[in-house]
Amino acid sequence: MISRGKEHAAERDALQSTDAELMRQLEAGQVGALGELYDRYRAPLRSFIARATGDAHDVDDLVHATFLAAAKSAQRYDGRASCRPWLIGIAAQLLRRRRRAVGRFATVLAALQGTLQPASDPRPALQARSDVERALAALSEPKRITLLMAEVEGLSCDEIARALEIPVGTVWTRLHAARRELRQAVDIEGAGTP
Amino acid sequence: MKASCPRLFEVEASRDGRLTGAEAARFQSHLAACAVCAREARALQAVAEALRSPTMVAEGDELHVRRERTRLLAAFDASLVPAPRSRAQLWFRSAAGVALVSLLGALVFALWSAPPAPSRAPGAAALTKAPEPVTIHADSSARWSRRVDAGLDQIVLESGALSIRVDHSVSERRLLVILPDGELEDIGTTFFVSAEAGHTTRVTVQEGSVVLRLHGLPPLALGAGAAWSPPPLPSTPPLSTPAPSTPPPSPLAPPTPPPAPARRIKPTSTATPAARPSTPAPDPAADFRAALSAFNSGDSARAADGFAAFLSRYPRDPRAEDAAYLRILALQREGSPATQQAARDYLGRYPRGFRRAEVEGLLR
Repeated sequence: MISRGKEHAAERDALQSTDAELMRQLEAGQVGALGELYDRYRAPLRSFIARATGDAHDVDDLVHATFLAAAKSAQRYDGRASCRPWLIGIAAQLLRRRRRAVGRFATVLAALQGTLQPASDPRPALQARSDVERALAALSEPKRITLLMAEVEGLSCDEIARALEIPVGTVWTRLHAARRELRQAVDIEGAGTP
Repeated sequence: MKASCPRLFEVEASRDGRLTGAEAARFQSHLAACAVCAREARALQAVAEALRSPTMVAEGDELHVRRERTRLLAAFDASLVPAPRSRAQLWFRSAAGVALVSLLGALVFALWSAPPAPSRAPGAAALTKAPEPVTIHADSSARWSRRVDAGLDQIVLESGALSIRVDHSVSERRLLVILPDGELEDIGTTFFVSAEAGHTTRVTVQEGSVVLRLHGLPPLALGAGAAWSPPPLPSTPPLSTPAPSTPPPSPLAPPTPPPAPARRIKPTSTATPAARPSTPAPDPAADFRAALSAFNSGDSARAADGFAAFLSRYPRDPRAEDAAYLRILALQREGSPATQQAARDYLGRYPRGFRRAEVEGLLR
């Protein structure tokens, strides 16, 4: 029984295509390869985007956009064993463009109304979250994305700088500020809650 | 009063990879001896661990995930096929084309009106104008024929070279080039193919992609810019990399196919999903991958069986539609008479499936 179980596990492992193989198939236009990648990385990617945006209403659209952008640039995949950091980098770029677009829209709206309103206030949606999640959501989006990429996704500062198209010094600055704010917020909120 | 250390900032610098080898080593020694820095390092690690802990992000139910998956694959599929042009676009393009041709005609006439009789250079390629949407340029020595059926445009190339352009936005008819030693299926749009002495000698793709299926070899997908020519050694399987030089077609001895069919991708397991011993927990992902692996390696019969078994065992799996479609392709590659029935099954099961247009095209 044990040997048969091992045999099946080995068979499954052998049949499991590597990410690099899937990317090659994706480059050739195979729909099944995209489905396989989606099954592997939808959950972590969705979690990253949801946390980075404060669980915005268009999380699923951003997940889709990330996979489609990955499929479009599959020929540029560098062949690393896991494409998760690569997908996270693409998602971060999309979030950056989205933030700029939202910022421009807010500016136009403010000009029309004669007053500048903050883009959004995520606090009401965060009541049920943990202290850390609440503190994370209170960070600015650039700091939040940088912190998640470094501490959760394990990207190096150089990788983050390339993905976000910013100097590596800016990454260090954002990380330092994000950690400081997070620690302060958690300590304050931790002391204030029973 | 809080204890402090002048090297406290190096804790974060070390964590972020800002310290070089010697600096990092020196700081690690310091960290082992300094309680303040060690506490700071633990605090930063605690922040990281708190962030990595499972979150309460709403994931959506299984049905939602399946719907999103289907939506993604449909969007990707749509991105592979050029969007059909509107009537206005077609009219505008046709008018622009007519205007351009008229202008060029006038220009050519003006240039050629001076010499008494313009003559074509000897040996220039003979042009055969085929009905739209397929344009075929054949060289003067090409021996070929063409048969157009309801759903299939079949070109038989015995020898010589053809340059073919297909406009899939006008017709959904499938185009197949029958070669002396295999066949070439167009996925769109412009490609060149030549054959000599009973063997295919060269395929180049300018736009779109084609699938080259030579006897005894696995199917080979060639994208835009790729070229194929026979390998120098008979036993070497063809590669999809662009060939830097074109081998002269006629003086070459015909490449003999390898004695045993060469396979680029071999499935690591010989067991078909249907033949597997029954397990307490069925694994649809593994079964799908097994069938897909057979499909990719050119074992169409095993792929068709695998996808059929998958469909019967997991009819509600999110990959079922992919399996149904891939089964049709596998049967079609085999030349199986069951292809038509499989296509009808697909349309019955997925009347709004994202491969509907292609499957309907197969039935026409």
